[in-house]
Amino acid sequence: MTPDLTVKIGKLTLKNPVMPASGCFGYGEEYAAFYSLEQLGAIVVKGTTAEPCAGNPPVRLAETPAGLLNAIGLQNPGAEVARGKIRRLQQYNTPVIVNVAGQNPEEYLQVIRILDEEPAVSAYELNISCPNVRAGGMAFGTDPQVVNSLVRTVRRATEKTLIVKLSPNVTDIVAIARAAEEAGADALSLINTLLGMSIDSETRRPLLANLTGGLSGPAVKPVALRMVWQVSEAVKIPVIGMGGITCAADAVEFLLAGATAVAIGSAHFINPIVCPEVVEGIAAYLARHGFRAVREIIGLAKKAAGEEGEKDAGKDHCRP
Amino acid sequence: MMPKKQQLVISSQEQVGEAVFRLTLQGEVAALPGQFVQVGVAPALDPFLMRPFSVHDCSRDKLALLYRIAGRGTKLLARRQPGELLTVIGPLGKGFPVGKADRAVVVAGGMGVAPLLYLLRFLRGAGKDVAFFYGAKTAAGLVLQDTFRSLAGEYIAVTEDGSAGKKGFVTQFIRPALAGKKADLYACGPFSMLRAVAALAKDTGADCYLSLEARMACGVGACLGCVIRGADGCWRRVCTDGPVFRAEEVFGR
Repeated sequence: MTPDLTVKIGKLTLKNPVMPASGCFGYGEEYAAFYSLEQLGAIVVKGTTAEPCAGNPPVRLAETPAGLLNAIGLQNPGAEVARGKIRRLQQYNTPVIVNVAGQNPEEYLQVIRILDEEPAVSAYELNISCPNVRAGGMAFGTDPQVVNSLVRTVRRATEKTLIVKLSPNVTDIVAIARAAEEAGADALSLINTLLGMSIDSETRRPLLANLTGGLSGPAVKPVALRMVWQVSEAVKIPVIGMGGITCAADAVEFLLAGATAVAIGSAHFINPIVCPEVVEGIAAYLARHGFRAVREIIGLAKKAAGEEGEKDAGKDHCRP
Repeated sequence: MMPKKQQLVISSQEQVGEAVFRLTLQGEVAALPGQFVQVGVAPALDPFLMRPFSVHDCSRDKLALLYRIAGRGTKLLARRQPGELLTVIGPLGKGFPVGKADRAVVVAGGMGVAPLLYLLRFLRGAGKDVAFFYGAKTAAGLVLQDTFRSLAGEYIAVTEDGSAGKKGFVTQFIRPALAGKKADLYACGPFSMLRAVAALAKDTGADCYLSLEARMACGVGACLGCVIRGADGCWRRVCTDGPVFRAEEVFGR
């Protein structure tokens, strides 16, 4: 029997828990050359602003050990043009989630005004975590009060499913997560990239023109997994986990940590068909371990850890 | 041709110059001259990204790449042995068009020579009268000279130090080949060389096609990591708007 892979995120029922991460998948058209996007749980398109955005000057990329720094800077054609591109995704009969970015709350609302009537748009992912822009982006995602107020404002503007994408570049991600939940977010996605930099020792210059960039790839996976664990424990809304997933086993780790769904980003650059491969791999994992539905494994590692904890309770680990 | 992800077997790996290797893979990629492929240099997550290589030569059952060891990725690639599998995604990007003129002037600078073997074969097949200018810093930088000489009607090698062929920059010697009969210009090499070739094209009115390079992540147009600024001020993705551009797109009219 094929395991049931469906999961719920807000008002959406996804046919499987796997989606591309915003920014690594453009508006879908490039990867449609490799497989039918119908196989995805959802299609998550690039960070979209109200007006076209030129992004940062090159060099925009720097490879790092088992990872990648990027400073694209939200280059996108603006919400009107994006709308046309998103319409073309309707043929895949898969929910489309639009990552929404802005320099101020009004710009976030403008994007939503342009896209809210569009039936091809199923949900928004509020980008309060881009580390590569001077205004907006991560600036909105590092203070619980600011997060609460922005999410509240956007919540009032739309009935569609609202996901808030969190930055890992904070002292207490749980406080941010709670602020977003309290303000009416339907789900949380995490993590965005970790702020980093790279210097070329030979030329003695920073590699990125923007000086700093967002770190992604396998290098960030342990950080992402820990944050998904902590956040999913603290909130009632579903969590979409991401950060360094390259294969089904990685995705399963995030589900076991408490994520309801997963997103795959940088791995697209080394394997354009990574999403359908991970969908297949999760199904195989469930079958191999006798689970009937992916929902059965969400947060399962916490239960195991809890049992271990009970067994160990009362023991003093500091004494020999 | 839609790009595909494939595992291809290495059939040979030969050193053809100072730190320069020719890698041949078994399988069909169906690339056009000037297109490129992404190659997973090692079966591991570090280094993380694939490496873009222009198609050096290509046929129904084989793909050849020509590369110089320039960093960690190419160093790892040079260690890969015949019989091993490599992940290859391609064909990618826009290649060289076959121009209208009967005469083709092809200019290579250093490792920019890599995609031009396949182009020369193509132009010859299209019945063009081909002049090939091959520049490098020193004699050691000129590889596979006999092959290139055999594919071009006119062959001129140039080195900056004069250790082989003519002495100077390759772009100093092209102008006579563009005089008289109308010719199309094709070039791949350092950015400064491409700028000089574009200036020659502007002077002579020749159609000019340039192959560029950039650090890339996805190679398929999605990540926007490899952009360059076009002459009109707008970004161009080297991976999908190029890597071959009309000279005026990059350097203006």
